[in-house]
Amino acid sequence: MVDIDPTEHDISELGPKVNDIEDVDELEAMLELEAESEDRVPVKTLIESRIETLTEDDGDVDEAVDVTEVSTADAANLIRNIDDPERLEELRDAEEAGEERDTVLRLIEQQLDSVLGSEDEEIEIEPPEEAHPHLDHPTADKEYVHSVEDGEYRDMWVYCETQGGELVDVSKELLGKARELMDEYNETYGVSASDASGGSEGERSDSSGGDENVVAVVIGSDIEGIAEEAIAYGADVAIYYDDPALERFRHKPYTEIYCDMARGAGHPYVREDRHEEEWRDYDEPRYVVFPATNNGRDLSALVQAELDSGLASDCSDLYIDDVVISNPAKTGGEGGKKRFERVLHMPRPDFSGFEYSTILCLDSPRREFHPQGASVIPGKFELPDPDYEREGQLIEHDLELDDDWLPVDIEEYDQLESGVDLTDHEVVVCVGRGIDRDPTRGIELGLELTDAFEDAAFGLTRGIITSSFQFDGHVESYTGEDRQIGESGQEVEPDLYIAAGVSGAIQHKVGCDESDTIVAINTDPDADIRDWSDYFVHGDLFEVLPNLIDALETGDAAEAIVDAGVPATGGETDD
Amino acid sequence: MYTLTLTKGVPDFSEGAVSFDEDGHLERGDTPTVMNPNDEFALKAALQTKVRNGGTSALMSMGPPGYKDILREGMESVYADELFLLSDREMAAADTWATAITVATGISNLDEQPDLVFAGFKTADGETGHTGPQTCWALDWPLVTHVISLEAYPDEGRIRAKRLVEGDIEEIETIEAPMPAVIVTDPEFEPVYRRADHRLKHRDLREETQERAENFEDHLTVWDHEELNLDPDYIGLDGSPTIVQGVDPIPKAPSEREAEEIDPAEEESMDELLEEMRPHAAATAEAGGD
Repeated sequence: MVDIDPTEHDISELGPKVNDIEDVDELEAMLELEAESEDRVPVKTLIESRIETLTEDDGDVDEAVDVTEVSTADAANLIRNIDDPERLEELRDAEEAGEERDTVLRLIEQQLDSVLGSEDEEIEIEPPEEAHPHLDHPTADKEYVHSVEDGEYRDMWVYCETQGGELVDVSKELLGKARELMDEYNETYGVSASDASGGSEGERSDSSGGDENVVAVVIGSDIEGIAEEAIAYGADVAIYYDDPALERFRHKPYTEIYCDMARGAGHPYVREDRHEEEWRDYDEPRYVVFPATNNGRDLSALVQAELDSGLASDCSDLYIDDVVISNPAKTGGEGGKKRFERVLHMPRPDFSGFEYSTILCLDSPRREFHPQGASVIPGKFELPDPDYEREGQLIEHDLELDDDWLPVDIEEYDQLESGVDLTDHEVVVCVGRGIDRDPTRGIELGLELTDAFEDAAFGLTRGIITSSFQFDGHVESYTGEDRQIGESGQEVEPDLYIAAGVSGAIQHKVGCDESDTIVAINTDPDADIRDWSDYFVHGDLFEVLPNLIDALETGDAAEAIVDAGVPATGGETDD
Repeated sequence: MYTLTLTKGVPDFSEGAVSFDEDGHLERGDTPTVMNPNDEFALKAALQTKVRNGGTSALMSMGPPGYKDILREGMESVYADELFLLSDREMAAADTWATAITVATGISNLDEQPDLVFAGFKTADGETGHTGPQTCWALDWPLVTHVISLEAYPDEGRIRAKRLVEGDIEEIETIEAPMPAVIVTDPEFEPVYRRADHRLKHRDLREETQERAENFEDHLTVWDHEELNLDPDYIGLDGSPTIVQGVDPIPKAPSEREAEEIDPAEEESMDELLEEMRPHAAATAEAGGD
């Protein structure tokens, strides 16, 4: 039953042999043989570690046993690692018999789909004239659509936004993330990886480089240095367009230039005089990412419109994975399932902060939707350290600037006074929707408490910004987005963080989590914030804050007591 | 001046109106539809143009027949003369690009070309901020986004606007552009009415509009995909590059700290909290004893 009897071999011979064996039962039989006769510790370790490698994923799952006993988030992580359809079906049955959580059941079904995959069926496409004889052909929509058929797509392109001649931080964050994603990508799908698995669809045999690149796009005036910097931050290639007229962002020329760069020489909509470039060999980028700033977001929308593709805006994360889809718009029929490879997954907070959606941009049976595009909110990815020794290719893009692209003139521009900076204070006072009973008074109290500290700042939750609270004029200027703390606002880490009437949603938590001490004041003893605060004052902020303010001003704890029938100066303590 | 404002119905996300199912998913069916709150700023810009520069104004929306009520609401707030609804099963579940193609076709189908098209920044349900710019790209008109103030000069066929730029620093740009143009307003948009006759005009228009709004369906045009000559494969769900793969409730923050409960009625308890706060108190508030 065993092909290789370990006792007949030297350990140096066994190493490669053992690592080729996929069958766990065989390995266990070998282990038994070894233990019975030679019983060499290194040999046993070798076989054991191979068994461990092969059973690792299953092992994790079997130990955790039951998804019904863990939270939805933990269940999601578990389910993702299971490749055995039978095991998934067991889990599904257990969940159905137990808590019946829709999310968990959906995740299990999705994983089952992706494990089982499905047959790619040829979809018959009726010519549009036959499908819609009552419409004129071409139909009105065609005027706007510049799509590619059977396109070749490669690389991840990062738009590097500049301001005042500097690369903005979110562009650096994106370069760092793109580097990480494409390194993983090349490991999973690259030429070396696909050789090992017998080649995979989508790889061109004549493709020049093999592995796919991070391409930085820099447009502006006097920006060659920025292009070099983009390489230091992780790009393999930096393509730049330099023109004094483009010192500031302008929608039309930036979009035209970007799309001109993005289209390869064989592209059906490429300009006539475009020549082949040595550094690339494809029609359009596979992925394009942009900073979710005012201008970056606009550019992302226009570029994707011109390239006839889609995008998700304001993403909070990005990852690349294969996925099985049953959406009939993408599979080309009811009931079918289709597997898509190398899909950029784009999670984003949605519905005004109530939910996370994961957006995918996928080819349809009749139209190719590449590049897959995303804009990413600042501060989501780590700011990488530049490596000025890093080597990369600098490409100056050659294109005549068309005067028709400049209908919008920028007459002047002024820097706004830098907004409110809530970081770098000893104390931060934040109010949330708990002020709803009297929003104006709530803001006043928050401001007064802020003033009672030596070095404090006043902030708000997203809930206040999106609320329809009516504030009186004298506090209104303190209720703007520039004071928002949380995922889409500022992140603070003071010594002392005081959150009054804040429920404690996770998006808020990330904005203040690093504070040394967190004090929550809330009427709801089950508020989420209780789980991540050091002190939980169970009380009404309209009563607690005035007392705290007095106590801080006089230094007397007795002032801080909320009158609850007990005399405020009652002799409860000895001193 | 002829202006067209794009508007959209969205679920009402204000406090209390939203309902969730057991898993924490938003129950869209039970959530009422209201006009997208950010459209208010586009409507303000359109209204300012009508009051100050005269002419007519129209509203356009894409959505189910029920969106008529959103258009009626918009008519009253912007004193609109005409309403257009692009409504068809084939248009449903469109993402921003499929919407932009549909809306741009709707605009091209108007008898008269608008001088200005106004759009709000971001809808409350999708929050992409892409539809205005992409509609503009399809029309191939000049685009001005994040507009906080606007002056139109119909005689010269030009506009001047201020727009917000963000990034590591925040800036305000003053731009000039020819008409027709697409204007995407920022939530910071402020209309300006300096002259008394502007205010009088306001009153007259309001009275006139109230009459119109009572029979608003007489001023409403509904177009389906056939009337717009749109291929169903290029609009709605089928024409959308993107799909929503999964919607997950925002996970609860994992607990990482052990909260000590403070009873605001207990002096000892409060004193413990104040011990944490006192070292940071303002100089004038220093406790005498320490």
